[in-house]
Amino acid sequence: MPPNTPLPAIFTVECTGLRQPELFMPRSPSQLPIEIKISTVVAISTILHSSDPVAIDAALKQMTGGVSDFFEDEFAVIDIGAIAADTPRIDWQLLIDLLKKYRLNAVAVRGALPAMADAIRARGLSLDDGGTGKLTPRQDAEAPPAVSAAPAPIPAPAPAPLPAAATAVVTPGTMIIDTPVRAGQRIYARGCDLIITAVVNNGAEIIADGSIHVYAALNGRALAGASGNAEARIFALAMQPELVSIAGVYRTFDEGFPPELARQPAQIRLVGDRIDILSLSPASRA
Amino acid sequence: MARIIVVTSGKGGVGKTTSSASFSTGLATRGHKTAVLDFDVGLRNLDLIMGCERRVVYDLINVINGEASLNQALIKDKHCDNLFILPASQTRDKDALSEEGVERVLHDLINMGFEYIICDSPAGIEHGALMALTFADEAIIVTNPEVSSVRDSDRILGIIQAKSRRAQTGAEPVKEHLLITRYSPKRVEADEMLSHEDVQEILRIPLIGIIPESESVLHASNQGNPAIHFKGTDVAEAYEDVVSRFLGQDVPLRFTAYEKPGLLQRIFGVK
Repeated sequence: MPPNTPLPAIFTVECTGLRQPELFMPRSPSQLPIEIKISTVVAISTILHSSDPVAIDAALKQMTGGVSDFFEDEFAVIDIGAIAADTPRIDWQLLIDLLKKYRLNAVAVRGALPAMADAIRARGLSLDDGGTGKLTPRQDAEAPPAVSAAPAPIPAPAPAPLPAAATAVVTPGTMIIDTPVRAGQRIYARGCDLIITAVVNNGAEIIADGSIHVYAALNGRALAGASGNAEARIFALAMQPELVSIAGVYRTFDEGFPPELARQPAQIRLVGDRIDILSLSPASRA
Repeated sequence: MARIIVVTSGKGGVGKTTSSASFSTGLATRGHKTAVLDFDVGLRNLDLIMGCERRVVYDLINVINGEASLNQALIKDKHCDNLFILPASQTRDKDALSEEGVERVLHDLINMGFEYIICDSPAGIEHGALMALTFADEAIIVTNPEVSSVRDSDRILGIIQAKSRRAQTGAEPVKEHLLITRYSPKRVEADEMLSHEDVQEILRIPLIGIIPESESVLHASNQGNPAIHFKGTDVAEAYEDVVSRFLGQDVPLRFTAYEKPGLLQRIFGVK
């Protein structure tokens, strides 16, 4: 195959879901025979650009480079948003079996048409609506689905580059909030950056898998890189948070935020396992 | 078009009932047919502040349960023909407030021709407070100039933006007003209290008024008369200003600057 020809079926892989920082894990043991808790799991999104099982098989084979345990029995969400409208009939059992061959356990389908619902449920799969709306306090604060900075694990022996896969994965995603984030509110930008143009008050919690930008006062808790991205940063025009965390490494300000930086433009980043606060004032950058 | 206004705060003891009583009285004395509802089921304060506690026969829960009609339960104010009070029940559990029941009562009040329906919320963010704010068109957020009250007001604003019927149906959002009560310019000057600018900086909603800290509020509640009736006091004037602003007039802020007493005033105690 010529190197620049796109593959007939392209399969992009991304991580969804939040690996909760240790900090927020409830730890109370219980005597009950069953305990119900909200748990967020990491799943692989398998974004289909074709419903042809032969093409998908070929693409998967190429992607995994023949390594049989490339996927280690991970959960997979089948995202058919891109093809659902053009492909009314999908052989779900064939698709499930095909993914299983590559040790991907299909658990849910995302982007399905209402007419497909019964067939999907009949195969024991759940329907996922993208799962972004419920986490945010406001309806207008939905994260764009299927965007992630997580790189597609392209194995070294891959014979040809995967052009379509690369462009799909680097699609930039941003959640923008224009209203104050108030005490008790929690906003989660899944798989993307979070930009807030209003105040984040004490008692509010803002979380992003990417970086966090606040173009106002940041007085609440801010958790960037929530699913492990240590390169994520937190920026604010008036920095005085209660707690910050990057990739699960957190810092509280019990003894007060450093006074020379408090309420000043600043950025916060992770250096090794230390949280650093750096001024963004024009004077200090000169 | 009738407007439903919730008076709420999150925190207790900041002046919700005092404000509900004076605000509804102010609207009614300016000719608007007004009803004021006590949602504090189990505690019941509004009827005391309004001085009608001995005339309570039926209450909000009786109406919700169909044990009394609205006409039987509404108490006409002793000063003002346009003002009616619907008291809370002292003997019932607050879970008796059902969403359908509250919606029906509010709907019936609108059909009876009430222009303004004031819902006096209980403190906290639990069921009673939620029921008071669910159907609101506007919200008056009563806040004292201190950090815990401001934090609780912030919380309740978030709840209004998430749980109100307007938010749930995607209608035009609830119109929010900030009412700062128990304000002492002297203590603000001495840095013992947040200034109204500080409070606004955190809450970021339009200010509808500032009620100064005053002895006359206590006198008023002891007598069972809303503070707005005590003509000439700064509190009554401040509540009149709130009502004017609510009705769309442009009124400058008063009672926010501390004037040091002059020498003669200090010597002779003249006010």
